Amino acid sequence: MEELHGTKEFMDSSAKEFKTELPVEEFVAGAAQADLSSGRRDFLKFLGFSVGAATLAACETPVVRAIPYVIKPEQVTPGMPTYYASTFHDGFDYGSILVKTREGRPIYIKGNKDHGHGSLNARINASVLSLYDSTRLTGPRKGSESTTWASADEAIKKALIDANAASAEVVLLTEPIASPSTLNVIAELKANYPSANISHVPYAPVSFEAMSQAYGTANGTPYLDFKSAKVVVCVAADFMNDFPLSAQYTTAYGSARKPEGKWMSKHFQFESIMSLAGSNADVRRAIKPSEEGLVLASIYNHITGQGSSNATSNITKGAAEALKAVPGESLVICGNNDIHCQNIAVAINEALGNIGNTIQKDKTVQLAVGDGTAFASLVSKMNSGAVDVLMMHGVNPAYDSPMAEEFKTGLGKVTNSFSFSSHADETASLCAYIMPSNHALESWNDHHVVSGHYALSQPCIQPLYDTRQYQGTLLAMSAKGGTYYDFIKSTWAGMAQGDATAFWNNALHNGSVDMGLQAPVVAAPVTVKSATQEVTAAAPTNTSGSVSTSIAAVEKTASSASGIEVVLYTKQGIGTGAQATNPWLQELPDPITKVCWDNYITMSPAQAKEMGFTLYMAQETPASVATVEVNGKKVTLPVVPVPGQKAGTVGIALGYGRGANGEHIGNAAFQTKEYGGYDLDDSGNKKPIGANAYALVAMVNGMASYTLSGATVTGTGEEYAIASTQTHHTIMDRESVLKETVLGTFKNGEQNDYNRPHTLKMHEHHEVVDKPIKEVDLWDPHPVEGIGHWWGLSIDLSSCLGCGACITACHSENNVPVVGKDEVRRSRDMHWLRIDRYFTSDMTKEKGEAEGIGTIDMYSKMEIPSENPSVVHMPMMCQHCNHAPCETVCPVAATTHSSEGLNQMTYNRCIGTRYCANNCPYKVRRFNWFNYKAYAKFSEVNPSQDMMGRMVLNPDVTVRSRGVMEKCSMCVQRIQAGKLDSKIKGIPVADGSIETACSEACPNNCITFGDINDTGSKVHGLRNDKRAYLALEEVGTQPSINYMVKVRNREETLA
Amino acid sequence: MANSVIYAMYDDDQTLLKAAKELVGKGIKVKDCYSPFPVHGIDPVIGVTRTRLGIVSFMFGLGGLSLAMLGTWYFMIHDWPMNIGGKPNFAYHLNMPAFVPILFEFTVFCAAHGMALTYLIRNKTLPGMPAVNPDPRTTDNRFVLEIDSHDNQGMTTDALLEAIKGTEVFELNHKKY
Amino acid sequence: MFKEASIREPLILGNKSYGDITADVVGPIENKAPKGWYIAITISALIALWGIGCILYLIGTGIGTWGLNKTVGWAWDITNFVWWVGIGHAGTLISAVLLLFRQRWRMAINRSAEAMTIFAVIMAAMFPGIHMGRLWLGYFVFPLPNQFGSLWVNFNSPLLWDVFAISTYFSVSLVFWYIGLIPDFATIRDRIKTPVAKKVYGILSFGWSGKAKNWTRFEEVSLVLAGIATPLVFSVHSIVSMDFATSVIPGWHTTIFPPYFVSGAVFSGFAMVQTLMLIMRKTMRLENYVTIKHVEYMNIVIIVTGSIVGVAYITELFMSWYSGVEYESYAFINRFSGPYLWAYWAMMTCNVISPQLFWVKKWRRSLGFTFVMSIIVNIGMWFERFVIIVTSLHRDYVPSSWSMFHPTFVDIGVFIGTIGIFFTLFLLFARFFPVLALNELKSILKVSGEEHKNKH
Repeated sequence: MEELHGTKEFMDSSAKEFKTELPVEEFVAGAAQADLSSGRRDFLKFLGFSVGAATLAACETPVVRAIPYVIKPEQVTPGMPTYYASTFHDGFDYGSILVKTREGRPIYIKGNKDHGHGSLNARINASVLSLYDSTRLTGPRKGSESTTWASADEAIKKALIDANAASAEVVLLTEPIASPSTLNVIAELKANYPSANISHVPYAPVSFEAMSQAYGTANGTPYLDFKSAKVVVCVAADFMNDFPLSAQYTTAYGSARKPEGKWMSKHFQFESIMSLAGSNADVRRAIKPSEEGLVLASIYNHITGQGSSNATSNITKGAAEALKAVPGESLVICGNNDIHCQNIAVAINEALGNIGNTIQKDKTVQLAVGDGTAFASLVSKMNSGAVDVLMMHGVNPAYDSPMAEEFKTGLGKVTNSFSFSSHADETASLCAYIMPSNHALESWNDHHVVSGHYALSQPCIQPLYDTRQYQGTLLAMSAKGGTYYDFIKSTWAGMAQGDATAFWNNALHNGSVDMGLQAPVVAAPVTVKSATQEVTAAAPTNTSGSVSTSIAAVEKTASSASGIEVVLYTKQGIGTGAQATNPWLQELPDPITKVCWDNYITMSPAQAKEMGFTLYMAQETPASVATVEVNGKKVTLPVVPVPGQKAGTVGIALGYGRGANGEHIGNAAFQTKEYGGYDLDDSGNKKPIGANAYALVAMVNGMASYTLSGATVTGTGEEYAIASTQTHHTIMDRESVLKETVLGTFKNGEQNDYNRPHTLKMHEHHEVVDKPIKEVDLWDPHPVEGIGHWWGLSIDLSSCLGCGACITACHSENNVPVVGKDEVRRSRDMHWLRIDRYFTSDMTKEKGEAEGIGTIDMYSKMEIPSENPSVVHMPMMCQHCNHAPCETVCPVAATTHSSEGLNQMTYNRCIGTRYCANNCPYKVRRFNWFNYKAYAKFSEVNPSQDMMGRMVLNPDVTVRSRGVMEKCSMCVQRIQAGKLDSKIKGIPVADGSIETACSEACPNNCITFGDINDTGSKVHGLRNDKRAYLALEEVGTQPSINYMVKVRNREETLA
Repeated sequence: MANSVIYAMYDDDQTLLKAAKELVGKGIKVKDCYSPFPVHGIDPVIGVTRTRLGIVSFMFGLGGLSLAMLGTWYFMIHDWPMNIGGKPNFAYHLNMPAFVPILFEFTVFCAAHGMALTYLIRNKTLPGMPAVNPDPRTTDNRFVLEIDSHDNQGMTTDALLEAIKGTEVFELNHKKY
Repeated sequence: MFKEASIREPLILGNKSYGDITADVVGPIENKAPKGWYIAITISALIALWGIGCILYLIGTGIGTWGLNKTVGWAWDITNFVWWVGIGHAGTLISAVLLLFRQRWRMAINRSAEAMTIFAVIMAAMFPGIHMGRLWLGYFVFPLPNQFGSLWVNFNSPLLWDVFAISTYFSVSLVFWYIGLIPDFATIRDRIKTPVAKKVYGILSFGWSGKAKNWTRFEEVSLVLAGIATPLVFSVHSIVSMDFATSVIPGWHTTIFPPYFVSGAVFSGFAMVQTLMLIMRKTMRLENYVTIKHVEYMNIVIIVTGSIVGVAYITELFMSWYSGVEYESYAFINRFSGPYLWAYWAMMTCNVISPQLFWVKKWRRSLGFTFVMSIIVNIGMWFERFVIIVTSLHRDYVPSSWSMFHPTFVDIGVFIGTIGIFFTLFLLFARFFPVLALNELKSILKVSGEEHKNKH
């Protein structure tokens, strides 16, 4: 009774407090006092408490001292998040972001969906963690000794003055810069040292300059309009991951693929490795890299009749037909860096009239386009000792350049080398001076990545270390001086129409501003242009002449190709390797192989079998190790068979093998031992994770080529344990877990054809009736439906592309521990949200029955994926069942059901019997096997064991202790915050006002959160949609989460 | 005259039984009997009444059952009803089937332990209690009848001794007090 | 007086008097222990220590030191738990059920069988404890008033039923056992010379004097306790089986479990009794009390229960097919054809095929053969629990999370350790406790004793 009374008081008081917005602490105290009214059983309470307290004191985490604000800063209310609109740009990825800060700490990055390009991928939203990397340089360095900024500035100034006097070569080597202000700063610098030959070389480890040249869009690639493309044909283009502006394109692509839409785009993919885009294609053909040109040529031939048919003509026919059907409304994308392939692609798009419609050349995307030729000449100049001053930012050629060795020797010959890198990484550690630049979240910057769209980055926290953003350093060297912030403002003042301050404030508030394509050009022109690029850029791209030469060239490539062919690609998590030290990304499973913490040689199972490599990898069955040798360069890695890969090809991910010589590039970038500590190689250096495949990249007429032929693969006979979050790869024809259909059936068929509801045959009044599972129940349900809130998610399998942005978002929102490779190998990954990837198998139940195959035989055949399988990505998290099997079995009632349909987990009540996890049909519960925040095994990988890394933890979410069960809470902390928010406003919770981390992060809006009881809500509609179904409905768990049948735009025959 | 206790020791249970019958036949009141194992048939002869421990355990069982029902009702239905896996806890009878195992086990628990404790207390067999058997051999292979002259006011001690000697007595002790 | 049919073989051989029985049983306690005993206890104590070490490491570091994972949340821990509980059942069954059925042959073995029960249940009870992620909060499973206000346990949970069942079962069988021990302690007290021992046994015997009234009460209590313990013993393993039967996991969710588990328990329990009695009979020279007849009786029980278990296995397979539920049927197909088929077929051979050999009377009465079989049966029953728990979990509904279980040295160490602890306790019992129920044996001497049989 007292409690009830107490809670009543509590409600009143809390209500009062919200009206007069008192600080949170008092509100809590008030609640406590309200609770103290209880008098009875006090003695027992205290007895219990003392016992409990003793145990807690003995076993729980030690209390960490917290220092309150002495003077509370303006805008910062403890317990209330503050959001800053900013922009992420590292030369390869780009996105408009909102940075969530708590008590001044950035803890979470989400997409700014209202303004700019708000779709993010895993790399962007995980970048918040790299801010707290404790291995970042804490100040300027001279060689390996730390020095002062003054002396460093002294040195660089002197170097420049001398260079100016000697009119020597000064080179600024950076990531592809799309920042007007930065370019202006460089211009200022040049102005200040007129006689010095200052040049700027944009450098991209993974470069799309061939595309840029073929389209004649200098420094960038044309903007591709996936929204209005009814047919998308990709040749070796993984536009969902390994492509400029991939996240934005993913969103656009997705919006054109809603089965309910007027039309659903059709996606053809021709590629060698199973890429993320390929896994989502309606029609996927496996080809060799050397055939990429042929495929384009044959499509060109099908469409224009020009050129001649070739070996690939039959497999490209379908695609060509589809393309012809929708002139001007299709996309033909070539993803490789071969100028000839790109030329043909341009010609095809010309012929289809796509250019100007779906491909906008005047609207460029300045990302991931380096200048290979300029870099090559730079390296040769360096080696000839011609370069006097070299300044570098955002680049790491010593690691990721095909000419790494030459570069290193050249760097030794450079008189004055300065790096602005934040780490003493492979390149920086070779420079005379390191003048560490800020982390992006500590810096001001502006961006003009997509033509006409100007964006701002603003600092969300004071620099954690004694660092300075490199533009500032350059400004200090120039005549102008002043801060970079003022400099940006002045640049933007030049763009403003009308009141400059208002314009600036608005832009800063929104993080970006759209100026249209007629925006005033405020950026100084990029200085150096290498000869070739100017030529090609100027050259008419689509004269039949050049096309025919290109066709000839690609045919020559195809015919000259020999041996095993190699494809070098970048992974969803690690990308180009810039964030290789980010444990969230290392632990993010690859969308296709589901392997974490390693790169490896992908190979078709057939070939792996033929070469005698292990086909099935699991905890105790390691992968076979093999050496890939091409052009005299070797890489030794484990072999992972991937269905859908073209036989005779291997794929290797770039971006791994960082810090090979013991550079201090971060804690999580190295292999760790089973009982903690780093695994050291013979020379006492930490073993890097994976191997560096950049060494294999070839330079073909001044451009990096990521596909090679003439390779040999030889098994070393060794074995290597691989950590994979999924060791079984097929759905075993379990239709009640996963439902998919094809567009035709969906459009023309009945719901029963593609989404058969589960019913039970029952006897009622002496007759047999089919009753829906939901109605078959032993007892009256607890009121959830129609009463109060009923939070739920709807997950559209058609929209889920498997990118994994939701996983990292969930990671950072819910303080999910990172457990490292060894634990993942033991299938103890802690992801609250996982994405199950299923390959189709040649064997199905129908087939088995038709061919009269024995059940045992049938099931064992079902375990083997097809040679070129279709792929389904299925996000799986706690289903928040209303009849939850996990709840009934908990002896201590640590997991119970809320009146709002949530399956709650009470951590401090849990004693860890794991019964709930066993009894969960979806296997979504995660157990704290160790004390992840203290146990030695995780010191290197788990950020929460790091003084700095700990700062990224979300204060709204408990860090779970050892021996406790945890699982998806449907971001209950956000739900509560949202409810309080509307309570303060005095309005009912509006649909869309609350978002879970996953639904917020999904670039393709595949996850929808909302109140199912709110008949107006989106999720309510989706739940009652014809495509909606409940996973394992017949078990009777009545989940609050529903899935939507996956629809493929293909003919039955092709399935 | 002074009271005295006579301990008649026999070397076999059957002889003891026979002797007891004879003595009782002569109207002699046998006070008690010490044996290494239950001698079946002795109780009615020397007038030992039937024990009521069975009923005791039944009462305890009943108590346990009602206590368990009260507890489950209070914890699960009354004090803090929670939605656990959608199981119905609107009224006790709805949720009760899930409690049957607990009810049963607790009933058994109380019945068994309640009875065992009563048994030990009624027997005065508790840790540290002194043993009162007249001769250590009575726990091995000897059987003793205890006859108190106080119960047999009608006869003199000698008469008693005579009567006992009449049986196949193995050894005879006579204690005055 | 009651005469036993003379065709029945005598249960006590040799010309024994009451005195002889006492001497035979109490003798070993008075005299110095044989060398063999010292060797045996040293070995088992060492194993026990290793086990305890593993347990401490487990508790200190975390459940992660076991081989469990997100898919297989229980493996050796609960397998061992169920295995030990099962073994425990024979003792209570022998002393309680056979008492109700007036089976005289139980008297020679019930004392040590009950001891075995006690120790086995101690071993069993240990696993639900140490398998908890937070052992130090284990008291949460009791409905205690606490500082959190009205925060109670969940009486819907089979695991909580277990807590009640196991604790009731343990305490009741302990009491049952001890009440039977009291008169025999008294015998030792009155016999033994050394003052210290006399004092100790004096305390243990609670001052028992063997009055007529005491004996009536004694018999009443034994009878009623037996009557209570009988349903208890069946309920306990039924409830243990409900841990699985009430779940939703294919291969667990089966109504046949309770009877199937109980018979399995009796099966393994009798096997373990065989193992122990055969050893003890040799070392403590009890050939005259634990006769071939006893061994044969127990083997017959093993045949019966073994066959019941076999039927249960077949029924399971049939049901999985007959139900037509794809998950159900796959679970069982996976059992006998999947990655764990070796475990399944080990179980089948040990539990279903091998006991049938006991139909041959010659083998049934051969001590050596019985000893080997008793061990085989217990191996088989361990595998049964492993198969039920692990092969059901490792491939359930959602294929993406299918996985395998690989034991670590801690898994193995803890299991071996419990066997060590068990034998240590049993050896101590055999050394210092009356291994036969003296008073009961004496009471049947004239009924089933060889000498007396021959007389009439």
